[in-house]
Amino acid sequence: MRGIWWLFAGVVAQSACSDSPGPEPVKPAGVAIGSGQHGLVGDPLPFPLIVSVTKDGRAIPGQAVTWAVASGSGTFSAPGGATDSLGIAKTTFTPGVAGAHRVTADIGGTALVSFDATAVVNRPPTEVAVVLAEPGHFIHDTFVRDGIAFACSWNNGLILYDVGNGIKGASPAHPIEISRVLTAANGVAGGIQVHNAWWFHNPVKAEQRYVFVGQEGPGVIGASSAGDIHVVDVSDLVHPVEVGFVTVAGAGTHNFWMDEARQILYAAYYNAGVVAVDVSGTLAGDLSSRIIAQATPGGAGSTYTWGVQLSGGSLWSIDMLTGLWKLDPATLATRGGGNNVPNRLSSDFSVRGNFAYTGTFPGKGLKGDHITVWQVDGASPVLRDSLRLPDVNLVSDLQASDDGRILVATAQSAGTSGLWVFSLADPAHPVLIGRTAVSVNLHTGQLAEIGGRLYVFAARVSGATAMQVWDVTP
Amino acid sequence: MTKPALQLAIMGLAVPAALSAQGGLQLEARALLLGTVMRPTPLRTTLREFRLVQPVVMVSIEPLAGLVGRLTFNAEAWTLAKGELTAGAWGEGFVDRRHPHTAWHELLISGSTAIPCGRVGCRVGLFAGKGFVPFGSDDPMSRPIAAYPVNHHLAQILERAVVAGQASIGPVAIEASLFNGDEPERPWQWPKISRFADSWSGRVTVNPFRGLELSASVARVASPEARVGTGPTQQKIHFAVRPQGTLGRTTLGGLAEWARTTEVDGVFRFHSLLAEGWAARGDHRVAIRFERTERPEEERVTEFREVRPRIDNSLLGVTRWTLLTANYGYRGAAGRFSVEPFVEGTIGSIAEIAGGIFEVASTYGGTTVKRVTLGMKLAWRDSGHRMGRYGILGHPGSQQHQHQKDDR
Repeated sequence: MRGIWWLFAGVVAQSACSDSPGPEPVKPAGVAIGSGQHGLVGDPLPFPLIVSVTKDGRAIPGQAVTWAVASGSGTFSAPGGATDSLGIAKTTFTPGVAGAHRVTADIGGTALVSFDATAVVNRPPTEVAVVLAEPGHFIHDTFVRDGIAFACSWNNGLILYDVGNGIKGASPAHPIEISRVLTAANGVAGGIQVHNAWWFHNPVKAEQRYVFVGQEGPGVIGASSAGDIHVVDVSDLVHPVEVGFVTVAGAGTHNFWMDEARQILYAAYYNAGVVAVDVSGTLAGDLSSRIIAQATPGGAGSTYTWGVQLSGGSLWSIDMLTGLWKLDPATLATRGGGNNVPNRLSSDFSVRGNFAYTGTFPGKGLKGDHITVWQVDGASPVLRDSLRLPDVNLVSDLQASDDGRILVATAQSAGTSGLWVFSLADPAHPVLIGRTAVSVNLHTGQLAEIGGRLYVFAARVSGATAMQVWDVTP
Repeated sequence: MTKPALQLAIMGLAVPAALSAQGGLQLEARALLLGTVMRPTPLRTTLREFRLVQPVVMVSIEPLAGLVGRLTFNAEAWTLAKGELTAGAWGEGFVDRRHPHTAWHELLISGSTAIPCGRVGCRVGLFAGKGFVPFGSDDPMSRPIAAYPVNHHLAQILERAVVAGQASIGPVAIEASLFNGDEPERPWQWPKISRFADSWSGRVTVNPFRGLELSASVARVASPEARVGTGPTQQKIHFAVRPQGTLGRTTLGGLAEWARTTEVDGVFRFHSLLAEGWAARGDHRVAIRFERTERPEEERVTEFREVRPRIDNSLLGVTRWTLLTANYGYRGAAGRFSVEPFVEGTIGSIAEIAGGIFEVASTYGGTTVKRVTLGMKLAWRDSGHRMGRYGILGHPGSQQHQHQKDDR
């Protein structure tokens, strides 16, 4: 027994007297998450800056980390702190000036990792008009074409405004009502519930006679819906009159798109999926027999389609439950996509060129505060980027401009959200360039080029309800 | 001067003037101090909070025989601005937190008089002002369990500008009212007078014998959740049985009610079944409540707030809350002042019943409800006023009024 103690003492003594150098102490290593973000001056970056601190491959809890601005200027939500039980420290950076920024996460005064960020000065859209809804009413959506805005006033009909057409000498800054029409309730619970519209320019017959109006009846989102497509004859813009309708049993319509050359109306139909309607010739009465194709991309019981759009020879549909689908426009058969947004619910979308932009709806324990960017020139959509809109609860509408320069999104939230404008200089990675700072919910926003300038006609559905017009010309 | 300050100033002049009038005057006050622990919550964590709830001052004045003025000032504007953590609470834009009530909870004048009609006894009455419309059961504030039930917006219609006519023949009382459909959005907000009479209600109350009250109510409420009037209309019905009595030295009471609210031409239907009972003996009080109530799930802007006004007529789903709540309190009194410490607990479950995208588990992180509250009820001259019973139902000679006295 005593021998063991002597051996121990000898080892200790040898260690203490040894002059030979031991192995270098292992230094903490870090992994940076959140670099490469873009933001607005004065707004926190969309995602936090995160550093994962390890030593010998193991997380280091309780490690003091300080955050520093190496270049640029800005502030942190937390300038320093200790790593958590997983060895992670994080902060939110708010750029103070425009330009490039470099931020470091430091340990013991030495930079462990660095993050790059770029900020631009907010260029908020310029408000040019507010057309207040009549007391007790609100506008849900607006379709603008040829200088006429078709405002879908939820329970008092489709209201036509001259916003630059010339029929009333109006402009986007001074809309003037032309006429209105009260569409039929068709026995749908809740009444007329005018939701959306599309003014059909028929190149075959060289006429602009019909407006299709969507009626959004009551439903349980994800499960049931109600409401018809109404056909309004606007050959006399001053005296529009409803002439027909389309009914799909057990379902209600939502957003539209058209193949005008082929005279086909595509309608997202929530739990009935996608419906294609032949709208050639004269339209009158019950047009339900003109439905030429119908599909539920996610399958019966797993489909709740929000919107459709033709692009690149395919019909794209966004489904709240199953994501972005690529369909054959003639048969509505699936070409690709689907089941590609597993952790979130989807909302509106917009496809332009080789990219699609899809919004999110709150659910599955998450806010609907993301816009997802997809590359869509292949067999199926490929995820390319994800944008976060802080404090937003629902990305309620999305549209890329026809010239591909900007993407606009309307948002609903408890804070200041409203209208967001992104540059599409790199369409795979949109960059926020401006947003409004108004504490209202914008439910929809329609882009329209009038007089060489680009406007958004938005539906303000809280506060003083209105059709609100912004100039967003880049 | 801010609007609340202006309102207080006006009332500060009006109330002393009323008090100086001759006639019977009754002043009372109460409040509950609560410490609550509850899960699940939309933050997916257990939450704890301390709150002063139901802080009210009530003034009742009877300047002339048969004419009663009633004012209930509720200070939740200050103590409960962000609501009270309560299992299943919803309404007025709040969800999973009970909304604060408006400052002027009741501000009514009522009158009633006997009319000759033979031996059974008949009365006619009228009440007008801001308060409860004749529909449903008593406000939970005037019942023994501190936590509001989930069915508050199915079983009561309150804080409206209301004008109601009443008539009673013997044990049967009939009421009919006109009021504004909009629910308040803020504690200092007044009913939207331009919407007065867009809604109506009726209630029949029968007292077949002493100790039993039966009631049936019906109402049509226009756009309650959208003040501008764009929201769907609700059709409501409600039935209640309210026994009351004594067993030896124990005072017993109960309430069983069934309520249904339908919206958007009957597309959405929300039902509630609630049964509660209470007993008091000496200074000890116990109460128990079972409730099974359905609630609409709507888009939220934060964990505890919903989009208002509603944008369209869709829901994210419907949930059913099945809750069992028990309360024990010990009442200590010193003159007109009473202090009642109590403990209250709730267990229960939440279920999805209509499909849709609302998921209980992902929203709350669980489906089992557990809540414990330690509280203290402070009261000065608690008359047991049954909020929602005015005019002939509050007349000292009425059988309905006798219930109020028995409740004390």
